[in-house]
Amino acid sequence: MIKIHDLNAYYDDFHVLKNVSLEVGKGEVAVMLGPNGHGKSTVLKSICGLVEKVTGNITWSGEEIIGLGAEKLVNKGITYIAENRELFPEMTVMENLKLGAYSQSARPHEKENLEKVFSLFPRLADRRKQLASTMSGGEARMLAIARGLMSNADFLAIDEPSLGLQPNLRDEVARIIKEINTQGMTVLVVEQNIPQITELADKLYVLEEGKISFEGSREEALGDDHLKEIFLGM
Amino acid sequence: MFIEIIDVIISGLINGSVYALMAVGLTLIYGVSKAFNFAYGSFYSMGGYIAFLLFGISFFNNYLIVFCLAAPVLLIFGFFIEKLLVAPLRKRDDWEVKVMMITLGLALFLDNSYQVVFGARMKSLPSILEGSFEMGEFILSYQDVVIFIFSLGGILIFRWFLNNTRTGMSVRAVAQNPAGAQIVGIPKEFVFAATFAISTVMVGMGGILLAQKYFITPAGGWDILVKAWVITAFGGMGSIKGGLYAAFIVGMLEAFVGWYFGMTWTLIALFAVLLTTLAVRPQGLMGKWG
Repeated sequence: MIKIHDLNAYYDDFHVLKNVSLEVGKGEVAVMLGPNGHGKSTVLKSICGLVEKVTGNITWSGEEIIGLGAEKLVNKGITYIAENRELFPEMTVMENLKLGAYSQSARPHEKENLEKVFSLFPRLADRRKQLASTMSGGEARMLAIARGLMSNADFLAIDEPSLGLQPNLRDEVARIIKEINTQGMTVLVVEQNIPQITELADKLYVLEEGKISFEGSREEALGDDHLKEIFLGM
Repeated sequence: MFIEIIDVIISGLINGSVYALMAVGLTLIYGVSKAFNFAYGSFYSMGGYIAFLLFGISFFNNYLIVFCLAAPVLLIFGFFIEKLLVAPLRKRDDWEVKVMMITLGLALFLDNSYQVVFGARMKSLPSILEGSFEMGEFILSYQDVVIFIFSLGGILIFRWFLNNTRTGMSVRAVAQNPAGAQIVGIPKEFVFAATFAISTVMVGMGGILLAQKYFITPAGGWDILVKAWVITAFGGMGSIKGGLYAAFIVGMLEAFVGWYFGMTWTLIALFAVLLTTLAVRPQGLMGKWG
C-alpha cells in the first residue's frame, strides 16, 4: 500500500502541493478529483519520482521512497501513466511495449505481460508493427496504459485517462481499470469525466489549491451537495 | 572522360561512407542530449594516434588487433569524458553553451597534448591492404575498398545496435521523448554517456580508417569537425537518416567539385550548398522544426 504524509512539492519556487496526505490500500482504487491546475497530476508525479523538489514522506509497503528517481521506483513496481501519453512516436507499438518493460524487475516477465496486455487490448496486437505517431487518440491512450502495464507494476498512477477520448472509449478505460484492479493492481487515478471510474473507487480525494479538501467514500461525497454538483456531475 | 567520371563517383562514395560513419555519431549526440561536441574532431585524431601507438608495438602490428583494442579504449574514454565534463554542466542554466565551451577547451587541450607527445610532424599508418584492382585505365585501390566496406559495416552495426539492443532502444527513446523515457524508467544520464561514448568510437574508427590513406596531425581533426557539422546541419539536426544522405551528397559534391574546379574549391562549394539549403529549408534535409 502507498501512504503519503505531508507531501509538499515545488516547481522552482512555486509551491504546488501543501501538506498533502493520502493513502491507497493494497488492491484498492482511489480516485482524485479537483479543478484543473490545482496539483492533481503533481501528486501522481511526486509519487512516481517525476518531480524534483518534494518533501514529506511517501511509503510503499512500509519503505520510505520519497526522493527516489523514477528509474528506481519503476523497478519497485510504481508506474506513472501520463495524461499526454508520452509515447515514443517513431517507434512501433511493439517497441513501445518493450520499452515499457525496460526496468530490471519487468524484464523476466516481459513475455507473460505482453500476452496479458494483448488480451486486454486485442487492437494493439493487430497493430504491433504500426508507428505510435500514426495511431488515433484512443489507440494511443490504450498503448500508454498498456506500456504502463508492461512494467510489471503493483501500483499504477493513471493521469486523466479520458483526455482526448471519445465517450464510447471512456467505458473501455473504466472496464480496463476494473479488470486490472480485480487482478490485484493498486490504482490511484485522476479522473472526473468517467462516472464508472468514481463508482469503482474505494476512496475519493478532492484536491483544491494544492490541499486535500475532501477525503471519503463515494457515498459520503454524494452527501455533499457542493462535491456532488461540481465533481461527480450529478 | 568516362573512366574519370567513374573514378570521381567512386571517390565520392568512399568519402561519403566515411563521412557518414563519423557524422552519424555527432548527429546522434545532438539528437539524444541536445549537446554540441566541439571535441569531436580531436576524438578523430585520437583514433589515429591510438593506432599509431599500437603499430609501434610489434606485437599489435595488425589492423584487426588495432581495431579491437582501440574501440574499447575510445568507448571508455568517451564515457568518462561525458561523465566528468559534460554531465555536471547539464543541471546549470544555459548548459548548452557551457558544453560548447568545455568541449572546445577539451579539443584545444587534446590537440596540444598530441603535439607535445607525438610532435607536430605528420604520422602515417601502414596501408591496410596493398595493391589495386586494375582494368584498363580503371584503377581501384584495395585500400579504398576496405575503407568503404568498413565504414558501411560500422554504420550497419550501429543501426543494428539502435534497433535491436536494449541500450540502443533506450537511446532512441530518449531522443524521441525524454519525458516518456523517464516514465518507463530509463536512466537518462547513462544514456547520454553511452551515446557520447559510442559516437567517440565511431569517429575514432573513422580516424584510423582515414589515417592510413591520409596522415595524422595534431590539428587534423578540425577539418573533420567542420565537415561533420556541415553534414549534421545539412541533413537536419538530430536526424540520423538525414545525416546519412547528407554525408553521401557531401562526399559526391567534394569529389565532383575537386575534379572539375580543383580541390581548393571544395569547402567553398560545400558551404555554398549548405547555406542555400538552409536558406530554403532551415531545418535541413530531414530535420524537424523545433
